[in-house]
Amino acid sequence: MIFREVEDLDLIAKAKRGDVEAYNLLVSRWEKRVFNYLLRLVANREDAMDVSQDVFLKAYQNLPKLEDPARFTGWLFRIAHNEAFSLLRKKRPESELVGEPRPVATNAKMLPIELSLTVESALARLSDEQREAVLLKVYQGFKFEEMAEVLGCPVSTVKSRLYTALDLLKATLAPAILRGEA
Amino acid sequence: MSCSQFDWKAYALGELNATERGAAEGHAATCAACREELAGLRLTLDAMSTLREEEVPRRIAFVSDKVFEPRWWQRPAQWMTSPTFAAAMLIAAAILVHAFARPGADPAAIDAQVNSAVTKAVATIEARHEQEAAEWNAAYTLLNKQFLQVYKQTSGLSLQ
Repeated sequence: MIFREVEDLDLIAKAKRGDVEAYNLLVSRWEKRVFNYLLRLVANREDAMDVSQDVFLKAYQNLPKLEDPARFTGWLFRIAHNEAFSLLRKKRPESELVGEPRPVATNAKMLPIELSLTVESALARLSDEQREAVLLKVYQGFKFEEMAEVLGCPVSTVKSRLYTALDLLKATLAPAILRGEA
Repeated sequence: MSCSQFDWKAYALGELNATERGAAEGHAATCAACREELAGLRLTLDAMSTLREEEVPRRIAFVSDKVFEPRWWQRPAQWMTSPTFAAAMLIAAAILVHAFARPGADPAAIDAQVNSAVTKAVATIEARHEQEAAEWNAAYTLLNKQFLQVYKQTSGLSLQ
């Protein structure tokens, strides 16, 4: 992990000096994480792909402005956050119609795939802000302070969104899992 | 209902330091309500971990890919915004201003000036040619004379 970080720093430094191949390698390393974050956030594969493309293009264009290469991850996700919410704002009326609560599976014994679908369904029922907080913390492993930088809000707001989301997820998932195990 | 002095969500999410974690664990050992709260959180996070990362459906286009190269109709626009183009325009403007804004600029006067300069240049070149020809003739005459003297001395013959 440490070696990987050092290599990333080296690549960032080279990319800042205009080394396109170094940047291409950075894209290869980060595209999966950025795509999955966007996929869960915008809930549409094509949109997630298009936004991912925009994120990496904007990151390349703005790379000379990144003063501290050690903050690359947060900076990259900040761009992804801005692009995703720009899209969500444009699609708001549509997503509100699509985002109707769906019933959570209640069958007696849950298979792993069913559990995944249940989690997906539970995540989809959260607000965009709550879902994003969960994605950054649980799936991307950011610390509270890093999340505050990505989201451009105080740590208290981050915790509030995340804790509310966890309460909602716990209320939905725990009974379903317990029923499945029964 | 868990005890309010412990942030179990921060604990479950790995945000507590070692001291805080130790204190929370010590409390949980003696408090059933907090253990229940923590078990519910762990169950939730475990369930969430079943959601796998998906592969990117197609490769993100690199900035070096052709897709990012400007189209044919974008190239002139890009060139026109470049510093080179700006410099060229500045020089062209300076030439035009110099040609048309110079006081008393008259085509007939310019022609006369040009003709005078050409005549002067031609005269200079012709004079130089004449001088070079005279120098060459002098050198040839001298060389010829020296050759005849050497020839007479070595052969005892006279060419004339």
